[in-house]
Amino acid sequence: MKKVGTPEYDLSDKLKYHVSALSTAAKEMALPLNITTHYPRERKRQPDCFRGYMLFDPERCISCFQCSFVCPANAIWMKDAPSGRYYPTVDYGKCIFCHFCIDSCPGGALKTTKIHDVAYKTMDEMFTSTEEMIEPPEIIREDVGVVDYVIDKEDLSLKRTKEKDALIVDVEPSQGVPMVSVCVDRGSCLACKVCDRICESGAVSSVVEEATMTVKMAIDAEKCTGCGLCVKECSMQILRLVRK
Amino acid sequence: MIDISGLIGTIMNNPVNIPLLYVIYEFLLKIPVLGGIVAFLLDFSILGMPVVRYIIGFVLWKPFFTLIIIPGFATLGTMLLVLPWLERKLVARMQWRVGPREIEPHTRGSIQLLADTLRFLCQEVIIHKDAHKHYFLQFPFLYFIPVLLPLLFINAGAVGHPLVPIETPYALQIMIGLISLMPVFIIGVAWASNNRFSFIGAVREAFMYFAYEIPFIISVLAMIVLYGTSNTAEVVSGVNQSTWLHWGIILNPFAALTFFIATAMATARLPFDIPEADQEVAFGPFVEYTGIVFGLAYIMAYEKAYVLAAIMTMLFFGGGSGPVIPYLGELSYGIWFVVKTLIILLVLVNLRGVYPRYRIDQALSIGWGAMLTLALFALVWSVVIGVII
Repeated sequence: MKKVGTPEYDLSDKLKYHVSALSTAAKEMALPLNITTHYPRERKRQPDCFRGYMLFDPERCISCFQCSFVCPANAIWMKDAPSGRYYPTVDYGKCIFCHFCIDSCPGGALKTTKIHDVAYKTMDEMFTSTEEMIEPPEIIREDVGVVDYVIDKEDLSLKRTKEKDALIVDVEPSQGVPMVSVCVDRGSCLACKVCDRICESGAVSSVVEEATMTVKMAIDAEKCTGCGLCVKECSMQILRLVRK
Repeated sequence: MIDISGLIGTIMNNPVNIPLLYVIYEFLLKIPVLGGIVAFLLDFSILGMPVVRYIIGFVLWKPFFTLIIIPGFATLGTMLLVLPWLERKLVARMQWRVGPREIEPHTRGSIQLLADTLRFLCQEVIIHKDAHKHYFLQFPFLYFIPVLLPLLFINAGAVGHPLVPIETPYALQIMIGLISLMPVFIIGVAWASNNRFSFIGAVREAFMYFAYEIPFIISVLAMIVLYGTSNTAEVVSGVNQSTWLHWGIILNPFAALTFFIATAMATARLPFDIPEADQEVAFGPFVEYTGIVFGLAYIMAYEKAYVLAAIMTMLFFGGGSGPVIPYLGELSYGIWFVVKTLIILLVLVNLRGVYPRYRIDQALSIGWGAMLTLALFALVWSVVIGVII
């Protein structure tokens, strides 16, 4: 067994280290390297892909439940809207801001913002309904400047700019891995047309063959968004999502 | 009527000589209306006594002036207001932080301590049921006796111009005796608190007392041997410390180093803040205190530091000697004294940003090992230097 003891220094080493510590302290006292952001008066500039408060666009939502399925914290619940559609609601008490929901959203309905300082009075308020997710929350902006952290050579320094950082950013919705729905067992198809009815993008078509009195379903790979709704709803479970 | 003219004569014939006051007086007399008011006030008399002149004379009476203004209570109060703020700001700069800022941001949070004092004043003083009620309340106030009495013997003057309230040949001995009395009160505070943390703090305070007391006394003894006197008025005058080449730190740097480390130990500053270690025993002896009594306990460490830094200025840095500032007369010595003391205090409090805390056994081995050796060597060095000079 190797035993680790305290290092042995002689007197000259000790004196050297004392002088070094004191001179460093004196140097920092005279010319300090300050890296503190004075938060309410200035904000740190966050990158555009910052994982913050989430906004929701119901026009682009196809009610595919992907966000709800993928959420590792089980924070997203789908609630039915008067229009008969299902829209996500986020419980920020559970949300871990992994933004898997945003990455998995095939229509780009969920989008990130740089808002990270939202206060709630009760736990119930943290359960954010769909209506609250459409508009950004009310923010009192006290900041007059933006701080950038600059690494030059080896030191970290602050660069202060007199401007207001835009908290709501326009980023392209994540494409994710392009998926497409395919039928793996055509022989078992009942032609119940559930897939046709549920498809938002009209990728499923049916052709009636008069000769054999059968209906053949076809999925247009170009139109398919890979949302996976048909895969979930297929009564024979013969549809699979595969990579494009 | 009682004849007090003799007493008044004693007071009026021993003023602090500040030529600037006469310049201001001459200038004020030339201003049309204000000059008349000043002349009237100075001539205003009751029963044939010019009262305002007597009051000014009493304030400028040397023992009163030295005790109340420099280096006495007014200086101490200013230091107490400024020093915690300076300490927090400078240590924050060392550690890349900002320090107090939000209260009065234009002056960099300089009135933070006033705000803290207000908060302490408004807080309820809680006496928990296990504490010894009378001692619990009395000891922090009794602690003021050994902390404030050394002010009577601090000399802010320089060669030929002592600025000391009481001149006595035993000044240094009395001061050391009073400083040695302080840990007794801290242990009393801890004992009256009847709390496990304060008990540990008391034991640690006692250990620290053992660690620094002997080298501290020997280092002062070395300087007494070197100067041949323990009168604070003579320590900084005559052949002693007449020029900067004769300062104590030049003649005997070993005693100065020992004294400085002992000061850090005695005031429980950070490398040796073992009795009060926040992270371990939660301010140790004062853990049960709240409100203004805690404020007193908090500020007493700084008062102790001021007294010890003043002694260090007298013994090792030539007291108030320095370039004479024109028109200020004897006040210029006082100003140099305050500046030197403030620098020593800043070095002392800023050790907080440099060193981590020692363990109690390490502190004891430093006290009985390196510091005692250094102090004894300083004593021998003093004898040798004294023989040579």
